Amino acid sequence: MNALMPKLDLAGWDRRYAELQGRGLHEAAYGGPLRRHVDRDRDFRLEQLQFDGSAAALRLWNFLLTENERLHQARGRGEKIVGTMKDLGTVPVMAYALPGLRAFYPDGAWWTPCLMEGSDQLLQQAESLGIDASFCPVRAMLPAFQNGEHFPRPDLLICSTGAVCDDFSAIAQRLEHLGHAIFWWEMPRRRAPEPGEGACVLPGNLTAPSIQVDCVRLELERVRLALAELAGVPLDDARLADGLRAANRVRRLLASLRQAVYAAPAAPLPALEMLVAEMLAIHFCSDREETVAVLAELLAEAHSRLRRGHFVSGAQAVRVFWVNPVADLRAMNLLEDCGGRLAGADFMFSHALDLIPEDLPPLEALARTALADPMVGPATDRAARVVRECRANRAEAVVIARIPGASHCVREGEIIRQTVRQTLDLPVIELEIPPVSDAMLPALASRLQAVVETALARRSK
Amino acid sequence: MRVFLASPWIPAEWVRAHGLESEGIWFAEAFRRSTPPLSAGNCAFAENVVQFAESQADAAVVFPTACDQLRRGYDAAVFRSSARAFLFNVPATQTPAARRLYRAELERLGNFLRQLGGTTPTPERLGAELDAAGQVRSALRTIAPFAEARSLARAVARFCRDGSLAEPLPPTIPKGVPLAIVGGPLSQADWPLFDVIAAAGGFVALNGTDTGERILCPTWENRPDPLAVLVDGYFDHLVDVFRRPNTGLYAWLQERLSARQVRGIVLWCFTGCDLWRAEWQTLREACHLPVLLLETDDAAGLAPRDVSRLQAFVETLQ
Repeated sequence: MNALMPKLDLAGWDRRYAELQGRGLHEAAYGGPLRRHVDRDRDFRLEQLQFDGSAAALRLWNFLLTENERLHQARGRGEKIVGTMKDLGTVPVMAYALPGLRAFYPDGAWWTPCLMEGSDQLLQQAESLGIDASFCPVRAMLPAFQNGEHFPRPDLLICSTGAVCDDFSAIAQRLEHLGHAIFWWEMPRRRAPEPGEGACVLPGNLTAPSIQVDCVRLELERVRLALAELAGVPLDDARLADGLRAANRVRRLLASLRQAVYAAPAAPLPALEMLVAEMLAIHFCSDREETVAVLAELLAEAHSRLRRGHFVSGAQAVRVFWVNPVADLRAMNLLEDCGGRLAGADFMFSHALDLIPEDLPPLEALARTALADPMVGPATDRAARVVRECRANRAEAVVIARIPGASHCVREGEIIRQTVRQTLDLPVIELEIPPVSDAMLPALASRLQAVVETALARRSK
Repeated sequence: MRVFLASPWIPAEWVRAHGLESEGIWFAEAFRRSTPPLSAGNCAFAENVVQFAESQADAAVVFPTACDQLRRGYDAAVFRSSARAFLFNVPATQTPAARRLYRAELERLGNFLRQLGGTTPTPERLGAELDAAGQVRSALRTIAPFAEARSLARAVARFCRDGSLAEPLPPTIPKGVPLAIVGGPLSQADWPLFDVIAAAGGFVALNGTDTGERILCPTWENRPDPLAVLVDGYFDHLVDVFRRPNTGLYAWLQERLSARQVRGIVLWCFTGCDLWRAEWQTLREACHLPVLLLETDDAAGLAPRDVSRLQAFVETLQ
């Protein structure tokens, strides 16, 4: 018999935590009640969120919210910290192939103003550093580097450039002007091979000219040397191949989780937890082995619920494909409050979900995967993948989340919207979601309800 | 066939060597004739380039990948119209791989130009184009420190239009507060800015915009392979905000700001242009000069509010 699993607010999680402890809950070293992230770290946004009530979700949240703390601990143990920026899923695979290196994305600071509900003042501080609200919330990274109150200052900073967002490129350049040396590597804008031109197959049903793959491979060769120098250990092909296989283990788990949740007749896990779970792919939340454990537990929970017919949304919930990550986590709750559920997502790093080819020389494989980044290619490629995944998971509507100030959102939304409408005839809506969206919640809810109702109306036709 | 280039770092010499006419888009007659409707975050310049490309029945437009707005503007132009457009990957770094990519892009552009009716250039033909452009650039570089701003802008515009050199520019004895203008493209419609600055008691001692002296940077080394000369001449001398790191821009600026005793910088920035806008504070810190940010989003020239700001800026520097 199907049952609807209630979501828990923070107070609900206080009770649930005590209950789980009473049942002998076994936690990882970073475990504990969610409440402590509010009390100790001022992650006030947690008080506004609705969470999944499983021990697997608790572990996911604790893993996410202790990342900075774990990075500081790693530094304390003598490990080297690598800040990797913008490529979302490539350089960390290389870094984690080396002993004693821990890679993370300072870009992730873009969620700090949301989590701390602005109490960190990072966005205001970014403005005082010359980067105002016309830039995307990733500008929070800039003062986070300067004040050192969040993540540890990396021993090496690596940033992809070229075909990347202007916001990020400009902010990273500002960071370098402020005294943080950056290792830049070139990412060409991916294009289709021309007739007669040498071509390579990329993950994600893409192709690219060989010369572009060569360019990325040569650039990653420079990255390889820089990482090896930092680690004091050569990053040879055997070691890198091990790293790729380990990354693929994470990607396979995520693929299974996505399949289990997005393709299911009703959602066994909530949208918010799926967003967080998918984010683990890009740099393993600074701990690759633990990422495997966290995802395996989530997958087991999803499978268990599917077997028992336990869901977090009703079977009537509209199947929504979501494009882009949200600056405010609360928006994912809102989707479900409005009668939707996730039936697929492109959170801007689909190349970090695709398996890295294991039958190629490892750097070549990584170069091809990096070049499959949806953000470095034409918006039509991204739109085509959205269409494919909408079809595969029988999506009934598409929501495109615009990131305030992000240069890529201006054009790509229009192309994705038109492609989806022309190809699938699905309702599509664009929403701009600021880091703390409370004041806009009624407007956001109205728009989400509109797209949900449109999709529901189509069912009856 | 006329080919409009939307970046100074896509060599006009290469287009001309293929037997086609080349023109910098900034000075095209139909460019920025009206104010385009802009959605939030849209760069006004990029939108103008897209609309221009879509309106050209008998011409092609080459977009650069130098910024997200133009790169994605190309996506929009080819998605919603049958514009003859080409996206040229201008690398952001100066690594060997990036240099190889730049050369490959020139060869690919050559294929595109041949599809438009161009012919494969002989080394002699390309060499002659390089010589001609090199001579004009050299002449303009020599006169630039002494030329009146509007005259120099006109001469650079002519060079961008057809590669030729305007009549000799008379050296002038400037009066007032020496300023630099740095930033995005300054089209002909924006030239009244020079008059506003003069009326306020200043003069433009350095035009460091995308249509100013920086685009005179490419220089040639005497080598047997003209394509290699072209590649190196541009790739090694590219001075722009999108380069990573963009320290070359600051080295170029500081040398000239100091030599010309500049006392203030006007940062000329299109609304929605993140790359230039983000440099505002760095310009102040690195150049140790006051910086006035002037934003533009239309073809109507400076807004009265900006004229007042500019006047106040010059007044405080007097």
